[in-house]
Amino acid sequence: MKIISNLLENIEGIQIYYVVGLLIFVGLFIVIVIRTYKMTNKEANDIKNSILNDSETEEISPQN
Amino acid sequence: MENQKFFYDNKIVRLFILATLVWGIVGVIVGLLIALQLAFPVFNFGLEYTTFGRMRPLHTNAIIFAFVGNAIFAGVYYSLQKLLKTRMYSDTLSKINFWGWQLIIVLAALSFVFGITTSKEYAELEWPIDILITLIWVTFGWNMIGTIMVRRVQHIYAAIWWYLATFLGVAILHVVNSFEIPVSLFKSYTIYAGAQDAVVQWWYGHNAVAFFLTTPFLGLMYYYLPKAANRPIYSYKLSIIHFWSLIFLYMWAGPHHLLYQALPEWAQALGVTFSIMLIAPSWGGMINGLMTLRGAWDKVRDSAALKFLVVAVTAYGMSTFEGPMMSLKSVNQITHFTDWTIGHVHIAAMGWNGGIVFGMLYWLVPKMFKTKLFSEKLANIHFWISTLAILLYAIPLYWSAITQWLMWREYTPEGFLAYPNFMETLTQILPMYSIRIIGGALFVVGFIIMMYNLFKTMAAGSFVNDEASEAPALVKLGSRNPAQETIHRWMERKGVRFAIWTFIALAIGGAVEIIPMIFIKSNIPTIESVKPYTPLELAGRDLYVEEGCYNCHSQMVRPFRWETDRYGEYSKIGEFVYDFPFQWGSRRTGPDLARAGVVGGPMYKNAAWHYNHFMDPQKMNEASIMPRYDWFAKKEIDIDIIPAKIRAMQKLGVPYEEGYDEKAVDDLMAQAQLVANDLKASGIEIEPTKQMVAMIAYMHKLGRDISTPAESTAQQANESSQTSQEELKEVVLLTGDADLAAGKEIFNSVCAVCHKLDGSGIPPAFPSLADGEWINGNSPEQVYKSIAEGNIAKGMVAYKSQYSEKQITQLTSYILLSLNKK
Ligand code: HEC
Ligand code: HEC
Repeated sequence: MKIISNLLENIEGIQIYYVVGLLIFVGLFIVIVIRTYKMTNKEANDIKNSILNDSETEEISPQN
Repeated sequence: MENQKFFYDNKIVRLFILATLVWGIVGVIVGLLIALQLAFPVFNFGLEYTTFGRMRPLHTNAIIFAFVGNAIFAGVYYSLQKLLKTRMYSDTLSKINFWGWQLIIVLAALSFVFGITTSKEYAELEWPIDILITLIWVTFGWNMIGTIMVRRVQHIYAAIWWYLATFLGVAILHVVNSFEIPVSLFKSYTIYAGAQDAVVQWWYGHNAVAFFLTTPFLGLMYYYLPKAANRPIYSYKLSIIHFWSLIFLYMWAGPHHLLYQALPEWAQALGVTFSIMLIAPSWGGMINGLMTLRGAWDKVRDSAALKFLVVAVTAYGMSTFEGPMMSLKSVNQITHFTDWTIGHVHIAAMGWNGGIVFGMLYWLVPKMFKTKLFSEKLANIHFWISTLAILLYAIPLYWSAITQWLMWREYTPEGFLAYPNFMETLTQILPMYSIRIIGGALFVVGFIIMMYNLFKTMAAGSFVNDEASEAPALVKLGSRNPAQETIHRWMERKGVRFAIWTFIALAIGGAVEIIPMIFIKSNIPTIESVKPYTPLELAGRDLYVEEGCYNCHSQMVRPFRWETDRYGEYSKIGEFVYDFPFQWGSRRTGPDLARAGVVGGPMYKNAAWHYNHFMDPQKMNEASIMPRYDWFAKKEIDIDIIPAKIRAMQKLGVPYEEGYDEKAVDDLMAQAQLVANDLKASGIEIEPTKQMVAMIAYMHKLGRDISTPAESTAQQANESSQTSQEELKEVVLLTGDADLAAGKEIFNSVCAVCHKLDGSGIPPAFPSLADGEWINGNSPEQVYKSIAEGNIAKGMVAYKSQYSEKQITQLTSYILLSLNKK
């Protein structure tokens, strides 16, 4: 839309914020995914079952 | 290892639950009230304290901060202790958190009723309360982090990460958005101007949704859903990934509230991209929630608590899909300023937030009172009623949004707007507002049923304030053992370290969005002709803020032909440099006012019209749903505060000359006298110090600075009328029924505002067209010209830019043959 073009789409170097932001995100995302998948399944299961293991829960079905 | 004995603090949880119920019912009843006001303006009760503009913030804040806020605290204080196997860090902090929060709520309610507001949506509270909120919120965080440090379990379960993110996110948002310069105890100006203010505010607004209505609720979901279903969460790994992506991405998406508005392109693009990306982590949460229940749907059938949780997670999935779609520019032009957004937020608030809270309460209350739910049947009734309520609420609003949008942009074959009068597009959707009332009422009924059920349960059970438990102490672990621990587990081990990482993730997003906007001067191209507000206009503007007019009126013409034809020139970013705060609005219940001061523009109304309109909008426009503001004619402008306001403005960089604060009052009186004289010429006597005068001055300031000077337009109009004096085009009156009916239709919808339905007018300001006296003569040619050319200075619009020649001839015929028949 031409009308908005007087509104500064050409501030010099402004795109850099955009690109840097995306890069940071993508980088961190990859690190987190890799790290997470290195976690053993047992460990994950232990944690998620642990919240059901307080004295009050009657029967527990600790699958998956 | 030896077990340590300790006691859970149940009392604080119970207090928060009671507060949730009490404020919840208040919030939904006020919601019902404002729904009624929009369909039937009598429900404004003719009192300044109860007008829609003041009640709407009361409703939104009561729901978000009072109902949902207390529910979050209840849910967190209970689950945190259980998850970490310890009592809350400090009972004193818990109590300060509880009573401090209730104090904030009471103060907030009072200030809305009395019109003390900053007008920034969901952050309307004035600076003393803002400070109080900061203190109480820090108390909450301190208590939570303290509890994490004294815990008796090694790992920090997923729910708690969300709680931490909530604490940090809200803290950042609240502090950044609340920078303001106090003028008095009850009034401050935000330090951000115009477009900057808009960016900061919607960065806040959007992330308030994220960090007050989403992250804490995902936390609650991660605890209460597995507990209520007695099954572990589906995938712990998924929860890690979706946690980090979600908190990282959310901070960036704010500008999607400001698409097509006076905002830099790059900021809009940023908002759109990140909004779309948000679908992934949001759906990660939904999938994790729903999959937890796989193979356990029989339990859902039997338990109302689980049913609510399932609907909540489903509603979450719907809203988080809809939200990113609404950020696409082409969709956004439909959803923004219409009821779509209202429908969207209610699916989220009633479905997702309501569902989690109700589900949690139905599970938690029997548990804490060591009994069964008083009636599972009533709970199921509540479930079905509130599901129906959500549908009856949302569907009419979606319908209304599309209808109104289509009408706004419809053109006649001759190339004029098909519905130039805004009221026509509103009248069309009023039936939808009535249906919405039914939806709201059902929701209230469901809520009452729940309260009854829960109170009965509480009465039947037995409650221990301090519940005994025991667990082994936590063994201190050394540094990270890379062979056995992933980074994430290691980070988790230390609550504080985890909090710092979360903070960094949040801060990056916030910084990228806001910093360039604030510091790069070139983002705001200045417009030479834009002048600061005169003291009188400023007083009027502050009144506009106080009365909450922004709840119904936008001040932002988007660059679409169907908007510029209706309102005038589209809005530019440089127009708003002296606006503290910005008043772009978010819902156009009434017409846009950004061009209300452009003399000769389609929106201009003269002082007498404004006077009559504020005194009684329904007199001017029978179907109007605007509340009356007749106290403007009685109440005085607060003149004593003017010098302080000018000084505050100077601090903010508004170029008033030095020492202007001392002259400001004189200037105000001089300008007020002019407005009063103008009104007097139309037969209206009013003292110049009344609020009405300031409000009219403000209305006439809107958009004036960027329009061509009034005199020259008026001159041009006069000149052209002089030259064409002799050569008036011949007009042949149309006598057919169809033509007269068409004329009547336009007259009733557009002209009757000033000339009344029967043409009798409101003399002397608006002349009668039904009597024998004519200002400009009563030949068909002369009447045609009166309509086509108007009299801009007096307030008669030049309709040739809005209607075709045929339509103007139909109007002329209707006036002369039907209204003025001798
Ligand atoms: C409940 C929503 C609502 C509130 C609150 C509200 N208005 Fe309105 N307003 C409307 C509607 C609807 C119309 C169109 C019908 C009419 O002209 O009355 C309108 C029309 C107007 C108009 C006439 C616009 C035109 O040229 O046709 C002005 C001026 C106006 N409002 C100013 C205000 C001011 C100032 C306030 C605050 C003191 C305010 N309104 C509060 C709904 C509202
Ligand atoms: C905002 C208020 C307003 C609206 C809306 C409005 N008018 Fe007027 N109208 C006026 C005023 C004020 C005058 C007196 C102008 C003057 O003094 O010359 C006037 C004058 C007239 C006159 C000339 C009356 C005479 O005595 O010579 C005609 C005819 C007329 N209007 C028709 C219409 C028609 C038709 C419409 C709708 C398409 C309409 N007006 C809408 C305010 C309005």
